[in-house]
Amino acid sequence: MSVAELLARCGRAVRGAALHAGRAGILFFVTVKALGRPRAWLSESFVQAKRIGVEGLGLVLLMGALSGVVMAQQTSNQLSPGLPVEIVAGGVVAGMLTELGPVLTAIVLAGRMGAGIGAELGTMKVTNQIDALLTLGRDPVIELVVPRVVAGTIILVPLVIMANAMGIFSGYAISTTLLGLTPEQYASGARGYYHHGALIYSLVKAVAFGFTITFTASYVGLRAGGGAAGVGRTATAAVVAIIVWIMVLDVVLAPVYKAVT
Amino acid sequence: MIEITDLHKKLGGHPVLAGVNLRVAEGETLAIMGPSGTGKSVLLKHIVGLMDPDRGDVIVDGISVPSADREGIGEVRSRIAYVFQNSALFDSLTVRGNLFMGLPPGACDGRVPECTAMARTALEQVNLSDDVLELLPAELSGGMQRRVAIARAIIGKRRYILYDEPTTGLDPINATRINELIARVSREVEATSIIVTHDIESAFFLADRVVLLSGGLVQAEGTPDELRETDHPAVREFLDAAPVAGVA
Repeated sequence: MSVAELLARCGRAVRGAALHAGRAGILFFVTVKALGRPRAWLSESFVQAKRIGVEGLGLVLLMGALSGVVMAQQTSNQLSPGLPVEIVAGGVVAGMLTELGPVLTAIVLAGRMGAGIGAELGTMKVTNQIDALLTLGRDPVIELVVPRVVAGTIILVPLVIMANAMGIFSGYAISTTLLGLTPEQYASGARGYYHHGALIYSLVKAVAFGFTITFTASYVGLRAGGGAAGVGRTATAAVVAIIVWIMVLDVVLAPVYKAVT
Repeated sequence: MIEITDLHKKLGGHPVLAGVNLRVAEGETLAIMGPSGTGKSVLLKHIVGLMDPDRGDVIVDGISVPSADREGIGEVRSRIAYVFQNSALFDSLTVRGNLFMGLPPGACDGRVPECTAMARTALEQVNLSDDVLELLPAELSGGMQRRVAIARAIIGKRRYILYDEPTTGLDPINATRINELIARVSREVEATSIIVTHDIESAFFLADRVVLLSGGLVQAEGTPDELRETDHPAVREFLDAAPVAGVA
């Protein structure tokens, strides 16, 4: 490949990224502006929140439970002789609240909710349902995007709380049955490592991830094309984009932990 | 009245519309026919503001669609109903929900019984019983979906109805039924209709006036009888090729 070709490719990639950034920026602006008309999206937001919450709850609880078990075992494995066993509970609580609870919940929901929204809106796009909405005088952002974004942003908070609680409980169960901790030691360790700042940090992440999942999936879905195969590619692209953004946000939000603790 | 002046549009660098001029009078039923890929649907999308032209103008009741602001586009769309090629019913909504969408936004807030009565009337007009009201589009046949799409178009009593290939994908019996339905609906609701089709029989059966669009331009226009009799080479080529295509 010649230098000219390489530069041309780079130029196209930069142009593509700039176009996406611009379009996503416009969608963000229109979405935020539409929030000022709650009557237009509130009832559909409840429907979406119920759907996301009910469909995602089982998987989120399972992931939370498994995370707690793994966290307890790995923390226990790292303990040098002589260190207090309460550290195991601390590892579970800190790990669940700051990372595993919000991040794994978000990744699970990226696969479930993100792919679902991407495919649903993508199908609507390729079957002219979005155009039909426009010709009927409806705004697809208000009808489709805002309810999903509001629902996802709000519903992730209780889901992350439940994932955290499930992880801490499963950590307790495994610690007291297999790792040799007494209930009192686990409670003492958990209390010692818990602070409100970590919970607030967990919930800040839940809100940020909930918005990211639904907004990214909506953006990718509305840009679908190419028939049924295009919808499949859209769902995949939505999940990939969401997971990348979740990890980027996780890095960006890391300093917030210092600020709230 | 709809006036289209010197409309140009390129898609993917390829000229699809290359200076289309067209005028649709009040109450008229106009058929736009032509081979596939000649920009018939693209032309319809310009009328309702789903596409912006590269050059030229589309004026609907005095409003220039390409240069209209959000309110202007809203005003234009409130006068136009669009029946999509694949029906484009909202698959998460029941037939009732789809028909309610044909009414102005907010029209059914607190008025569900009145809107349901309007939905029943619209279904009656397209020869469907109200048994389908609570069904989802996926539970309907292709012909029934097309009827519901037409019912959604007429429920709001809009001034113009645009039909994009209304019989495509239907078997001959259902296609004939849909043609008869469109003809009857056009008479009953007194709307101005534009029907895009590559089906010559449909065009000649439904339209007061027929336009042949080919090569991005209006090649010929006239009443169905005038076009049948014309020696215009583009019209002859299209009409003569059609029976062969039909057999194939």
